[in-house]
Amino acid sequence: MMGQPPTPSYDSRHVYHLLLTSRYLTSRIIPLLAIAAVALCVALVIVVVSVMTGFLDMVRDSGRTLMGDVVISYPINGIPWYEDLIKEIEALPDAQAAAPMVETIGVLRMPYPRGSAKEPKMVQIWGIDGERLAKVTTYEETLMWSNIPEQAKPYVELDRIYQPVIESLDRGQRIEILRISPWENTDSMNDSQVADLAGAITNPEWIEHIRYVLVNSPETFRGSLSSDQIVLMQAALAAEEDMPPLQDQVLRDGVTLARNGQPGIVAGIHVSDANRRDSEGDYQVGGGGHWWLPRYEGALTTIPVDASGGTLEPETEILPFVNEFSSGVYAVDEIRVMIPLEVAQRMMHLDQAEIVDEMDPTKVIGIEPARATMILVKGKDGVSETDLRSSVEKAYSSFLDSVATAHPNGPAPPVPGINPSLQILTWEQQNAGFIGPVEKERALMRTLFSIVYVVCAALVLAIFWAIVYEKTRDIGILRSIGASRPGIVWIFLLYGLVVGVIGALFGLALGWIITINVNGIHDLLAQPPGWLAWGLAALTAVVLIATIIKLFSGRILPVVLGIMGTGILGLFTALVFILDASGGVVIWDPAVYYFSEVPNTIDLPEALITMAGAVIFSLVGAAIPAARAADVDPVKALRYE
Amino acid sequence: MNDDRTQPILEAVDLHKTYRMGSVDVPVLRGSSISVSAGEWVAILGSSGSGKSTLLHLLGGLDTPDPGRGDIRFDGRPIAKLRRGDRNRYRNRDVGFVFQFYHLLPELTVLENTLLPGLVGSRIRADRDRARTLLGSFGLDHRLNHRPRELSGGERQRVAIARALLNRPRILLADEPTGNLDQETGREILELLKREHESGLTIVMVTHDRQIADLTDRTVVLNRGQVE
Ligand SMILES: Nc1ncnc2c1ncn2[C@@H]1O[C@H](COP(=O)(O)OP(=O)(O)OP(=O)(O)O)[C@@H](O)[C@H]1O
Ligand SMILES: [Mg+2]
Repeated sequence: MMGQPPTPSYDSRHVYHLLLTSRYLTSRIIPLLAIAAVALCVALVIVVVSVMTGFLDMVRDSGRTLMGDVVISYPINGIPWYEDLIKEIEALPDAQAAAPMVETIGVLRMPYPRGSAKEPKMVQIWGIDGERLAKVTTYEETLMWSNIPEQAKPYVELDRIYQPVIESLDRGQRIEILRISPWENTDSMNDSQVADLAGAITNPEWIEHIRYVLVNSPETFRGSLSSDQIVLMQAALAAEEDMPPLQDQVLRDGVTLARNGQPGIVAGIHVSDANRRDSEGDYQVGGGGHWWLPRYEGALTTIPVDASGGTLEPETEILPFVNEFSSGVYAVDEIRVMIPLEVAQRMMHLDQAEIVDEMDPTKVIGIEPARATMILVKGKDGVSETDLRSSVEKAYSSFLDSVATAHPNGPAPPVPGINPSLQILTWEQQNAGFIGPVEKERALMRTLFSIVYVVCAALVLAIFWAIVYEKTRDIGILRSIGASRPGIVWIFLLYGLVVGVIGALFGLALGWIITINVNGIHDLLAQPPGWLAWGLAALTAVVLIATIIKLFSGRILPVVLGIMGTGILGLFTALVFILDASGGVVIWDPAVYYFSEVPNTIDLPEALITMAGAVIFSLVGAAIPAARAADVDPVKALRYE
Repeated sequence: MNDDRTQPILEAVDLHKTYRMGSVDVPVLRGSSISVSAGEWVAILGSSGSGKSTLLHLLGGLDTPDPGRGDIRFDGRPIAKLRRGDRNRYRNRDVGFVFQFYHLLPELTVLENTLLPGLVGSRIRADRDRARTLLGSFGLDHRLNHRPRELSGGERQRVAIARALLNRPRILLADEPTGNLDQETGREILELLKREHESGLTIVMVTHDRQIADLTDRTVVLNRGQVE
């Protein structure tokens, strides 16, 4: 009969490890502390990484929805015969839709402040066809105003009522009104200066002046009015008494970029500095609705560039604001304005033009086609951006061929390689500038919070060290009945493993709950409800009373614990009361972070990695005490009680 | 049976054990020899600090004598020279330890404490019936699921003896098993040992009480590290 070869750890596959580990876990408080520590570490990392990942996803999503999947761009000069290119692209099996646009920069004169010195603003101008852009991007969903906001409604109504009155005023009357109205200091101005001011101020300002004059000095004013104007003003005053419901056209106007057939501007929500986001993430229009941008007109100026790259005379268009958009990316919303494609092409001299004979300007010798500086392409569902990009590149070269045959004498489109500014990029490449930093930030956060693992391991080490110290005698007993040294190591490693796994599971649960409710928790901090403060106060009182009762028990520990508990709870209570009084703290200020909600989806793969990390570091933490346990001298451990 | 009694089951010759305290060597055992025959009940008598526990630990394979100075044989096998795994096996199978301070694991129940050598040993399924029988014969049937702290000193020592006997060791090593008990309870424990001895168990018991030593088959005296 063959004897089983003796191995040093002949006992390591047996069940006493499990028995001891489970008993050590259930009958003591210290391991619960270790589990709690691991759980808190895991929860912390899960929450932070999930929020960061959610944030990154939001940024990426918004980047994509703004741009479509693939972008062909040839700035300033633009691509001629672009409609042919779009036909070529839309014929691709990969592509769903394509939209042309022109992009340039310019200066927008804002309607604020009151008076003649309006503020100009640097803007990026996108000339678009709203309906076509809406097929490629989520443009329509980004439009801010589907209705006139409640606050602005009275103002819009006034605008409508007084429109005919304002239009009927002649130069002299305007000067007279401004001289009477206290809103403008015209005392030291001569008539032509006042006339300049009259030319600068907006219709809503005129309404204020007219109403003041009508109410306060009707007699002095009446003399200079025609009977028709008196009728108009009486009608306006009467209409103010009884405002009919408004017709809401705003959303439609945003898509068509026009109001009553007139081209208009759709501005990014942060182009107007009068717009503010409150802590709830809602937009507040400045002046209680007064500065609602679609009440006004903006003067948009840009400098066109000629075919040789030189600048031409600036072009200015005065266009009404018809809507605003909110894309989700602050950097876009503070600078971009949309105008109709044809208007932008006209302003940049990229519109279709007839080429005339230099000798005889009435003789048309050719057509200069309209141009687009960007073509945004959206792929069919399931088509990857990179695949779509290569299809689009192919479509572009066949477009070049067809242009060469169809328009042999017309201007040639830019050619890849020869015109370096011509780029065909995926949305991700195009937006690398703002996705990159957020990605780096997430990596940084993850690295920083990985230090938590080390804390986790250190906690487990300290706690297990204490446990091993406390269990020295038990280790001696186990050795005296034949347990091997590897067997003893395994007890504590298993113990560490179990603590790590249970802690990681609790951490996942805790992290999940926190992440899912992160907005609720945030609101709780921002506006602590009354019950929280009073509930905490009641709890503090209970603990305090229990502590006082324990004073007579003769034991010190419960009293110390009670005093500490009272202190900590009291601190929290005070904190909540202070928060209540001071209006709460807003950690995730939507005005800063842009997104109105904290991202609250758990990043499960990251969470699993975090959990695995916690388990490994728990084992690392347990390994040192376990080794120490193996080195316990059983004779010394057993000698005394 | 009579042949067995003359045959030494455990034999120690010229044991030396020296503890180092800082830079000073403290010799505890200086050439102690002892021979225990199968079925014998031997008492080791000696004053406090004479090295009784040290000798017992060496006999039980918990500790080793100074290198090359002394030989311990169990059934003819040299214990001190065993490989680690085999020494663990020796402690688990061949000997059973009983201590003055019971040394039960506080988290485990009486039954689990008793089963422990079975669980540590090779058997995956420990011998529950054996543990129950032992505890039953020691009058502890109603205590199986109690924790050690709920037991009296005498009961705890009986659990410790049951644990020591679980794997049917050839020899029981008891270090002042009654040292922590009152006289009445101590006598009960000795009765119990006597019963086990009568059914064939070899016992080596350390005591400093001559009256207790007189209950055994044979008494050896340990004085200044030597058996007299
Ligand atoms: N690890 C050690 N280091 C130094 N000296 C030790 C060590 N262990 C035991 N000793 C000493 O060895 C001597 C013998 O100890 P041992 O425990 O064997 O005595 P004992 O006869 O069992 O005494 P008691 O009756 O008090 O239990 C004592 O003087 C003790 O102080
Ligand atoms: Mg002793």
